Amino acid sequence: MHSSLSHLRIAGIAVTTGSVVRDFLADGLAAGLDRAALERTAKTIGLRERRVAAAGVTALDLCADATERLLSEMGLDATSIDAVIFVTQTPDYPQPNNASLLHGRLGLSKSAPAYDLSMGCSGWVYGLHQAALLCAHGGAARVLLCAGDTLSRLTHPGDRSTDPLFGDAGSATIVEKTGRSAPLHFVLGADGLGAEAIRVRQGGARQPSGPLNERTDAEGNRTHDANLVMNGADVFNFTLREVPSALESVMRHAGYAPATTDALVLHQANRFILSTLAKKAGFTEAQTPMAVVEHFGNQSSASLPCALIHGLADRLEAGPLKVVGCGFGVGLSWGAFAGEIGPLTVAPILMFPR
Amino acid sequence: MKPSEKLALLKQDVELFATATPETPLASLPDWGSLAILLIILHLEEKHRLAVAGSRLRACRTVGDLLDLIP
Repeated sequence: MHSSLSHLRIAGIAVTTGSVVRDFLADGLAAGLDRAALERTAKTIGLRERRVAAAGVTALDLCADATERLLSEMGLDATSIDAVIFVTQTPDYPQPNNASLLHGRLGLSKSAPAYDLSMGCSGWVYGLHQAALLCAHGGAARVLLCAGDTLSRLTHPGDRSTDPLFGDAGSATIVEKTGRSAPLHFVLGADGLGAEAIRVRQGGARQPSGPLNERTDAEGNRTHDANLVMNGADVFNFTLREVPSALESVMRHAGYAPATTDALVLHQANRFILSTLAKKAGFTEAQTPMAVVEHFGNQSSASLPCALIHGLADRLEAGPLKVVGCGFGVGLSWGAFAGEIGPLTVAPILMFPR
Repeated sequence: MKPSEKLALLKQDVELFATATPETPLASLPDWGSLAILLIILHLEEKHRLAVAGSRLRACRTVGDLLDLIP
């Protein structure tokens, strides 16, 4: 699906990460793995450190901290928010949703609707599209978009193909209605037949609880039914198939070409995937922030705002930049966007608790 | 394409096959694992325009099995 929405802007972004620093090499050595092999993997995939949430800290806490810092940085009162959208697949509870909990915690106006979107690595773009719709057509002047997860809690420590990848983070993005007519372009899509490629089997209504059924794959990776299990090969096939064409499509709608676009901002899956996608889309590595994973880990739906801040904060504050981006992952799903972003307010990437 | 040509192309892209022959068991290669599979998927896509499901890649036991996936 394509849509172009105008008279809105991204006014501010903030990201809060977990506070526990995990070191890829130290963790691998402690698990009895070979140093040289770990170093080769670290270099190719771009793994060094990641930040995971401390015990008891949830995506809601991380997003609440990011929101409070952003509102303070922008000099805004929480009651000025007309709607809150919370993108997460690791909510505090099955009911109520995280958006309602955040609404109460921040003291938002009762006229502000609050709802969740259950999306993962593509989710920030879906949330941005939703926030843009509310500003363009829904009567909202200011929307708070929170996106974040604590996926590190869902992986099995014995699953070397997945466990070293994920960090925990929460983001806050403020989207506002403006007089500016330059549109943001979106291309969103899904491949539900690939739904099994990334999944957590247990914890929903179909399989609420029961035996965990631990299993070991051919490479010795251990997982059970309550773990996030990822078929990396099928996810990579999907990424190669869908992301370059989504980028091409959204750039065509925007009238953008790689040479005249300031930045390509992708879901920070890992350095290998990002450099592959940048090359396929015709962008240089200098145009493509890709260092989030080696500092923070794969942060699910918080990785795109984290890449915007980590790679482009100064230039976005000065803005505007012509930016093309894409989130992709669980669903399987993807969301690409293109448009001018900035000038905007950026709150620095900080840990919680500090 | 002959198996020897397929293997030569594969060696250009994926370093861990440097000294491999079609008979080499994949599990005996240093660094064989999920990262190697990503490198092979990229090779198959870029050099052969092929998308091979993860389950078919994981069913391969030798380098020759892998080469047999390529027409």
